[in-house]
Amino acid sequence: MTRQRVAAAFALVGLGLLSWGSYLGLWVAPPDRYMGDVQRIMYVHVPTAWLALVVFMLAFVYALLFLIRRTWRWDALHEATLEIGVLYTALLCIQGALWGKPTWGVYWAWDPRLTTVAVMLLSFAGILSLRHFLDDPLRRASWSATATILASANVPVVYYSVRWWNSLHQLQSTPKTVNSAMVEPLRINAFGLLALTIALIMIRSWIAEARRRRDLAPPLPEIEA
Amino acid sequence: MTGMIQGGWEFVWAAYGITGVAMGIYIASLWIRWKAEDKSE
Repeated sequence: MTRQRVAAAFALVGLGLLSWGSYLGLWVAPPDRYMGDVQRIMYVHVPTAWLALVVFMLAFVYALLFLIRRTWRWDALHEATLEIGVLYTALLCIQGALWGKPTWGVYWAWDPRLTTVAVMLLSFAGILSLRHFLDDPLRRASWSATATILASANVPVVYYSVRWWNSLHQLQSTPKTVNSAMVEPLRINAFGLLALTIALIMIRSWIAEARRRRDLAPPLPEIEA
Repeated sequence: MTGMIQGGWEFVWAAYGITGVAMGIYIASLWIRWKAEDKSE
């Protein structure tokens, strides 16, 4: 099986699971006792949050591996995880704002969870733009890997912010605290987004590798007229 | 009065819709970039 087929299989499984999980979340799961139907945003918001954190932790691992091993494959995976993590975090903020308005009365509040997520989004988006501005592949890879390692210090802070400080944002739920009819679509969407994310990381890293090969290719000899 | 938030489906549809459209655009952009790199190699 070629790597393209593996990526396509992950993407199809991911999209299938996301469609099924979203159907269950929108039409089958019961409304929440207090938040009513608005709580259905959870089935897309929570998997996006989990995957954003997982993808940024992967970015940290790939950045570290590049600095230790100096292998271009790790740099390509680093670039892929940065871009996908920024996309997921931007979506996370939008979904959260749409959940916040009917439940908190505001789209945005400078509370610890939201503020640390905003810092995470801006720092990783900054690293991504740094990569676009640097033409030298080695400098691009080294500088952005170092910046990713520094920015990753905020990722656990995002996760624990609701426990460490008083926050408008609710604490993490567990299967024991959530109705089983709500756990199923949440799990299906989480596994669906995980499968889709694997496919996206694979494809985005191939694009990064192809760009790096082009950047490092020796110039073609001039053809004499 | 039950204490439950009434309505709010417009926020639910907006969250799912924006997420779906953004993911669709991103997947399409990956496809276009991949094909462009494939052609230039």
